[in-house]
Amino acid sequence: MVKRKVAALEKIDADFASLQYKIRRDPKSYKDDFLKQWEQYEAQREIFFMSPTTAAADSVESFHNMIDLIAHVADCYPEETQTFPDDLKAIVSQNHETLHHELRDKVVGSLVLLRRKEVIDSTSLLTTLFPILVSSRSKSMREMLFQKILSDMRNSNSKSTNHPLNRTIQAVLYNLVTADRASPRAIWAIKLTRELWKRQVWTDAKPVDVMKEACLADNEKVIIGAVRFFLGGDKEREELEDESSDEEIDLAKVKHQITINKKSRKQKEAYKKAVDKVKRQEKKKSKPHPLNFSALHLLHDPQEFADQLFTKHLQSTKNKLSLDTKLLVLQLITRLVGLHKLTIVPLYSWFIKYLTPKQQSVTSILASLAQGVHNLVPPDALEPLIQKIANEFVSEASASEVAAVGLNAIREICSRQSLAMTETLLQDLVQYRKSKDKGVMMAAKGLLSLYREVGAEMLKKRDRGKDAAMGLSSGLMKQRKFGEEEVGGIEGLDLLAKWKEEQRKRKRAEKGLPEDGSDASDDEKDKDEDGFNSDEWEVGSEDSSDSGEWINVEHSSDEDEPAPKKRKGEEDGDEDNAEDEAAELERMTKLATTTILTPADLAKLQELRAAASVQKAMGGKFRKRQQQNPDGPTHADDGLTAENIEAPIRLRKLTKEEKVALAKEGKPDRDEHKSTQAIRKSKKDAAGKSTSNREKQRKKNFLMTLGKAKSKQKRSLIETRKVLKGHVERSTRGGRRRNDQEREIDKFDVEQIKQHVASVKL
Amino acid sequence: MGSSARKKAEKKKDFQKPKYKVGKAKPKASNFTDTSFKSKAIVMNQQSLSTIAPDVVQQFKHNLSLASSSRSDKQRRDALAYLTSQLSSHPPVNPVGTNILLSKLLPLISDSSTPVRSQLLKLLRTLPEDEAKHSTEQAIMFIRAGMTHLSADISGDSLGVMEWLLDVAEDELVTIPGGWVKTLSTFCVTMGWSLSSAAPGWTSAPRTGLRAKDAQTLARQISTLSRFLQAGLKSETAAAPGPEEYWDNLYRLPRSSNAFEYLNLLGSRRDEEGEMYPNREARQQVFYRRFFDPVTKGIEKVKKEGGAAGRAAVGLDQVLKDGMGDYAASAGMDAQDLLNLW
Repeated sequence: MVKRKVAALEKIDADFASLQYKIRRDPKSYKDDFLKQWEQYEAQREIFFMSPTTAAADSVESFHNMIDLIAHVADCYPEETQTFPDDLKAIVSQNHETLHHELRDKVVGSLVLLRRKEVIDSTSLLTTLFPILVSSRSKSMREMLFQKILSDMRNSNSKSTNHPLNRTIQAVLYNLVTADRASPRAIWAIKLTRELWKRQVWTDAKPVDVMKEACLADNEKVIIGAVRFFLGGDKEREELEDESSDEEIDLAKVKHQITINKKSRKQKEAYKKAVDKVKRQEKKKSKPHPLNFSALHLLHDPQEFADQLFTKHLQSTKNKLSLDTKLLVLQLITRLVGLHKLTIVPLYSWFIKYLTPKQQSVTSILASLAQGVHNLVPPDALEPLIQKIANEFVSEASASEVAAVGLNAIREICSRQSLAMTETLLQDLVQYRKSKDKGVMMAAKGLLSLYREVGAEMLKKRDRGKDAAMGLSSGLMKQRKFGEEEVGGIEGLDLLAKWKEEQRKRKRAEKGLPEDGSDASDDEKDKDEDGFNSDEWEVGSEDSSDSGEWINVEHSSDEDEPAPKKRKGEEDGDEDNAEDEAAELERMTKLATTTILTPADLAKLQELRAAASVQKAMGGKFRKRQQQNPDGPTHADDGLTAENIEAPIRLRKLTKEEKVALAKEGKPDRDEHKSTQAIRKSKKDAAGKSTSNREKQRKKNFLMTLGKAKSKQKRSLIETRKVLKGHVERSTRGGRRRNDQEREIDKFDVEQIKQHVASVKL
Repeated sequence: MGSSARKKAEKKKDFQKPKYKVGKAKPKASNFTDTSFKSKAIVMNQQSLSTIAPDVVQQFKHNLSLASSSRSDKQRRDALAYLTSQLSSHPPVNPVGTNILLSKLLPLISDSSTPVRSQLLKLLRTLPEDEAKHSTEQAIMFIRAGMTHLSADISGDSLGVMEWLLDVAEDELVTIPGGWVKTLSTFCVTMGWSLSSAAPGWTSAPRTGLRAKDAQTLARQISTLSRFLQAGLKSETAAAPGPEEYWDNLYRLPRSSNAFEYLNLLGSRRDEEGEMYPNREARQQVFYRRFFDPVTKGIEKVKKEGGAAGRAAVGLDQVLKDGMGDYAASAGMDAQDLLNLW
């Protein structure tokens, strides 16, 4: 639509912008003009509706202008423009396929404008736009509509959650997904849900339900979209949150900028905005963290869902999903199985035919398999799988990468269900630790160390290692039976107990009491003195003192009255390390079961935990062990990926670029060959920082230094002494000059001289 | 003076020999044309090759399209002038038919150039009346749009078109759907006679707005309105029943274009504004209910001002008295009342 040239006079005449401005400034006075324009709009609408498809460019343009004008002033005349929103809705929903694109965009934009002016509500806007989004064939239109819908959803949820609107839209999306499972339209429901999930507008179970239904669709695109949401939606959400919290504003810098540059209203506003943002960020920080469950946890009836997914997309021979899609679905199913400990027995036998080295993306399949194993899977179902992996992958004849992958996969499976392994196979596989290939060797060692922890008796005696052998002989270490659960504890609780004990000892030492004594009155006194004491919070302080009594490893002679039984345990602990550990364990659990942990305790616990983890990361010994056991630091909720299975291979097969990148990591950026000093300096310059005193000295103009050098030679003895003394004085104060130092030294000198003179006279 | 080193170098460049180098392709000449591509078709942008001159029909169509869609206003005006001359010749040349001609040209009512609009009016005057009648519905839409146009010139000129339409098809104009009420409200709005009852106790100054309406335009508007009202409210005399009418009604096909339009079988549901008002009484009824008060108030106001507008207002008052004099307010049940009951 090329705009027709308008003559200068006419421009003044038919200036919609100025009319709009005048109307908005004084709606009452310009009502007549508005009514005229309203009539004009009606006439244009009539003309337009006469033939919406073949309207001339001129009539389209004038209609476009009228809509624009009316939409902008609609809030000034609510009575007269009552029918306007409905008109627009009718126009766009009936004719969106045939409308001129600019007019179409204008109508949609006007509707959104009316929403912003609160002439219409979000529900009516979204229920108009969404069907168009779903059915439109124009890509640009869909893009725009999606943006508008999304921004409107965000806006209406920005101040507080708009529950009725969310419910309506979620119901619309749900219906869209479930109405026709074969149609690709549901992709819009997925896109919208995913976006709103990412931005934490929707965090409840309903959108998850929408996605769940979408997973069970027949259209491949829809399936992929929905499955990807479950696999990556939460991570995306976390990343976005991190990103938004990263950007911080330096208020001081903004303020400083204002003092330098010209003062203008724009700058003032920018400053105000920055202050607002900082305030908002601070408020956000002090707010309690919103409790966001991951989509996988919000699923209703995961067993049913996983069953349906499996039977529909994997087991049935009829569907024509591509391998990639199948892998994604498989990942989701196994993730669900592992996370919720579901039981889908046919799943494991389904894997059998895919477990060959020639299978495409077999590492991902292996990862899925391992991910889908948990301690309640019957070992019988897994045994043939492990056997098959061992046969197919792990042999002297197969390539070393293949063998490493197989061993890693077996280790991952067995770390989740150790009972699936047979003794002979294990002993066989462990032999590979002598392999010349590093990947295979590491994988086999990983398996070995795993079984040293979870099933040492299956290993040959010489493979068991010291800890396991001792544990076995003392009976402390036992292979867990099927379905047996580990006794849970609180991470770092032992650290807290230890810390508490130390505190107590220290306090007693301060008072001159024997370190190990215990009486209630003592404890109470402690409380009175020490404000920080967390015991104040405790309900059963007697219990804590009791528990504190017998822990002490140090045995002192003037101990009052320790219980005999406990004392016996203590002596045993001196003798046997394992016994001591057991006692530790008991003590640990006791702290949690006998006392109520106060907020102060919990804060301390957190602190101790963090300190311990730092220490772990620093200590070389521990680090090594952690590297060997890669699934140590990962959380149980996180899925297993193909990389975990392939990891050691990756180490070996680095390309040169990757190696260089690895080496460069954490080092200063080096574009050209320069000294580190030079790089640092250029960085400093770039950051706008000033030079150091030393540098200033070095760079000082030679001629300026001449005068001082000359005068130095002419100095008298006294002057020289003064300077030297001043230097010494300053060096004791860290090189800083005091304001009136010179003068003081002068006084000091004069007095000294006087004294000197007097002494000479005497 | 002023010949800098750069200029000298530039001059020199013209006479420098290109240096050829072994193993390198010869440099391309500055006027080199790349002919390496192959094309199966050549598209020419402008081509008008014909051994014979375009015939009258072609020329007419060409001018029609120029008039309706040319970007240059001079071209539009000239094309319109050509069409006018063709239509006013004896016998008139009109290969496309009045209906299509009108549908193409009516949007020009709101054309931005004054000569084009005046030429359009001339053209409309040359059209045969009984053929133009059938496009009344289309024409009145564009006229309404023109009358409410932001530009005063356009709205003034469209009054001329309105007068033409009243000359040509006044009976159709007041009976077609939307023809009566919508046009009346357009008139009222353009003259600033507010229809909506304002908040009690407050009156807005009559001459606020973008520009002061000059008396000339107002007078013209009022006189056109009075013609329109005259057409709508004139007393109808039933035609004497002919002997064959009964049988004609039963067996002969109707001659008018959309004989059963009043049934509105296919169109969307009409509201009060878009409804047909086929007889005088219905028109009187709706006029009385919606326009009588503002119009009488407006007449009083204009009368007091006097001048040309005042004289026109007196005429309008007379028309109103003639048309509405015999109307009794409670003349019976109204269709609208029934709808409201619903």
